[in-house]
Amino acid sequence: MMPSVPLAWMVLVGVGTPAILFALLGGASIINRPLPERWTAAFASGSMMTSCAALSLALVVDAATGTGTHLLSYGAWSTSHEGGIAIEFLVDQRSLAFAALSAAIAGVVSAFSNRYLHRESGYNRYFVLLAMFVTGMLLVALAGNVEVLFIGWEFVGLSSALLVAFFLERTAPVSNALRVFSVYRISDAALLSAAVLLRHVAGTDSLSLLFGGTRAASAVDLTGTNATIIALLLIVAVAAKSALLPFSSWLPRAMEGPTPSSAVYYGSLSIHAGCFLLLRAAPLLEHVPAARLLAGGLGAATAIFAGVTTRVQSDVKSSLAYAALTQVGIIVVEIAIGWYTVAFVHLVGHACFRLLQFLSAPNVLHDLHGMEDAIGDRPSPSGGYLEAVTSDRVRRGLFLIALERGFLDSVLDRLVVEPFIRLARRLTRLDRWLCDAVIPTRHPVTISEGEAQDE
Amino acid sequence: MSDAWLWLVGLVALPALVIGASFLHVDVERLRRLAVASAVSMLLAALIVAASPRLHVFSIRSSAFSWAPGGEAVIRIDTLSAVLLPFAAGLWLLTVAVTPRAALDRGGLRRTALATLITLGSFLTESAVVLLLLSVASVWTFLSALSDPAHQYQRRIVAAYLGFSTLLFTVGVALLIRPGAHDSTVERAAMWLIVIAALVRKGIVPFHAWVPEVFDHGRLGPAILFSAPQVGAYMTVVLIVPRASPDMLRVIAVLALGTSVYGAALALVQTSARRACGYLFMSQSALVMAGLDCTSVTALAGGLLVWLSAGLAFAGLARCVLVLEARRGRLGLATYHGGYERMPVLAISFLCMGLACTGFPGTLGFVGEELLVDGAIDAFPVMGFAVVLASALTGLAVLRMYFSLFCGRPDPLAHSGVRFELTRREAWTFGALVLALIGFGIAPRPLVDSRFAASDNILGLRQLRILARETRPALERAVTIRAGSPDGARRSVSAPSQ
Repeated sequence: MMPSVPLAWMVLVGVGTPAILFALLGGASIINRPLPERWTAAFASGSMMTSCAALSLALVVDAATGTGTHLLSYGAWSTSHEGGIAIEFLVDQRSLAFAALSAAIAGVVSAFSNRYLHRESGYNRYFVLLAMFVTGMLLVALAGNVEVLFIGWEFVGLSSALLVAFFLERTAPVSNALRVFSVYRISDAALLSAAVLLRHVAGTDSLSLLFGGTRAASAVDLTGTNATIIALLLIVAVAAKSALLPFSSWLPRAMEGPTPSSAVYYGSLSIHAGCFLLLRAAPLLEHVPAARLLAGGLGAATAIFAGVTTRVQSDVKSSLAYAALTQVGIIVVEIAIGWYTVAFVHLVGHACFRLLQFLSAPNVLHDLHGMEDAIGDRPSPSGGYLEAVTSDRVRRGLFLIALERGFLDSVLDRLVVEPFIRLARRLTRLDRWLCDAVIPTRHPVTISEGEAQDE
Repeated sequence: MSDAWLWLVGLVALPALVIGASFLHVDVERLRRLAVASAVSMLLAALIVAASPRLHVFSIRSSAFSWAPGGEAVIRIDTLSAVLLPFAAGLWLLTVAVTPRAALDRGGLRRTALATLITLGSFLTESAVVLLLLSVASVWTFLSALSDPAHQYQRRIVAAYLGFSTLLFTVGVALLIRPGAHDSTVERAAMWLIVIAALVRKGIVPFHAWVPEVFDHGRLGPAILFSAPQVGAYMTVVLIVPRASPDMLRVIAVLALGTSVYGAALALVQTSARRACGYLFMSQSALVMAGLDCTSVTALAGGLLVWLSAGLAFAGLARCVLVLEARRGRLGLATYHGGYERMPVLAISFLCMGLACTGFPGTLGFVGEELLVDGAIDAFPVMGFAVVLASALTGLAVLRMYFSLFCGRPDPLAHSGVRFELTRREAWTFGALVLALIGFGIAPRPLVDSRFAASDNILGLRQLRILARETRPALERAVTIRAGSPDGARRSVSAPSQ
């Protein structure tokens, strides 16, 4: 994999321009001198267009030369000593195509948001987070080593949570954002754990071992058990990021953000980031049948669950989100089966289509009225196939499950959140008791006090 | 008189000047201005010292407190301490620049300068006795800050825990410096005593209960100033790391990693912002101790880097809470307080410093944690998983605090006429700290390379001691053989290599 100089420059420009935009807008925010809307919009569209053009050109050059996968190395970043972080991108046609698509979609959303959020108090904050997200997506798409992948993964996660809490004067978006972020942290922890294990087992953090085109080389240094654990951790990371079961419950909560951010995150790009990672890690999955089975099972279960749930949603964004999740589940099944090209084409098409649906969601009633005016009647309702082939009892059961979104929130609360909080509070009381044991107070603390007496 | 000596005198004179001025009848606000000017000057001077390699070879050795051949460096500037000097100055500047006016008094400014002087002195010595004396002085300063009637219980808690720590440290140092203590059971006992003393001071589980209590119900400002420089970590680097066995270091690392996860998990469920800060501090400071496990040069360099990033980021985070409390009173985390729109700089600073604590990419903490995990992964993979878990939990805890303190319901005091905006001095200080944390996160090389150099020196010293310990019995045997045999001179030459 010889680095190609023009390709390296194009990729650098492609990734660098959104990063510079992020630094510029973020720096202005830190010193409390946000740029005027006009400038922000101009910089954002200029940056996205440049990025998209550079990455598209890189894709054309790569396709023309047809030399396969390139590892583009930009040297060690953090230290001149052994260890530390190297800036490396692993580029092939698929990764470049996904990166170019990300930049193009970000450009469209940026242009849309400029009007949609005009004179909104969080206008500047929105564009800072959008720039952070695009930088993160491009890093995820092109990452050549674990560190670069993780930087992108974290950028996507944090910007997503902060955009869910965009309307921060309301309580619901903020508490939902925390919930979303907590699932993302599970994803981050799983991804980093996989990276730690990979580095421990194979002695490298280069993703060419996992993502490399030469399938025989992908598992050279990985034994069966280690490869299985790494693959399973990757699937957990993907499942949490792409809202696969059992992590699907955060998706409707994430709809609290502004519509353009919902479109770019949960309609087109962020929700597919997990699928893309899985697609890149396909050579590893091929060596681990258990992981493929798990991925396929999760994808199928998610597709069915989301397909049923989307039918009972009462708001358009949640309905679209579950519809998107149905397709994401199917894409994961395709990857598990080994239809990589089909999965990638499906991913790209779905990302574009769902983006359009999300962006037009605020106008859905207007569009419907227009359609009624045009045909002179109400459009005939679609669907109803599932209802026709199921009994009343099954329908009622499915309706209840769909209405409660699979009871996923309450199950996770009961199995994970509540025990964790109970244990942590008990330990807090233990700490107080330790102080009391050293210096007694008039009101001694007991470890077994009830929850009501917690802070 | 060398250049380094002059620089040192200058560094020490600045806090001393503020201490002296505090005894005069100077207006408190004017005294604060003097303290800010002195802290800025000290920071600039310390940065010059840190950036000048020719000043890093300064040392004044003495045999007054040690029986070791050649004595020990009572005052020295080396690769380790050179970067710690601006760190101490930065913490002082942060303290005096953003302390709310209501909490400002002459005694507080004096104590702050004194604490900085003590921290500076600690970072400049490798003498166990001098470190002990400075440790006693710092505990005394901290206790004097808790002398008001409202904090008597916390004062007693601190006195009990840190008194115990100081007692163990004293006995440990006394055993360590006695003649013939080297390479004996006495030295090992002394090391264990000093280790426990350092663990208590750093708030490592199971010696941690005083930390959240003092942060929550004690005085937050003095608690930050006492904790953030992490003199306990310095004690570990200077006294324990060169002498400790690998098992001893592993025990410290395991306890520290447990504390890191424990602190992060408990910070997540607290309903008091101050107590959450206490647990966050425990978690962060424990990561530094874990990095001192010496599994490799890279891991140690990572630990030293986390020391700087966690110290600065945590101090900034806790100061944000203090600044917010000055405007709103005591803050709980069970409700949303709102107010982002009125204090965007404070909110962004809080978030950035919190993210630096979690090792978020683009901040200095990320580089430190990355090196820590990278260096320890072969010899001690558990560290990698523990750091990942602690980082995930810390991130959640920080975001929860951010949402609770700055988001949610509209500010009920929005139209009350209360001034919420930061003063220019506060805004500049927080902005500069955030830019430093992000700037060194984006361009970390100079700092990372300096930590590698320090790490090399520390491990080199440790290797020398291990080598000396291994070869000493052979040398002694050679001397014995030489004394008892006619051809002893020839045989003694080959003895060390046996």
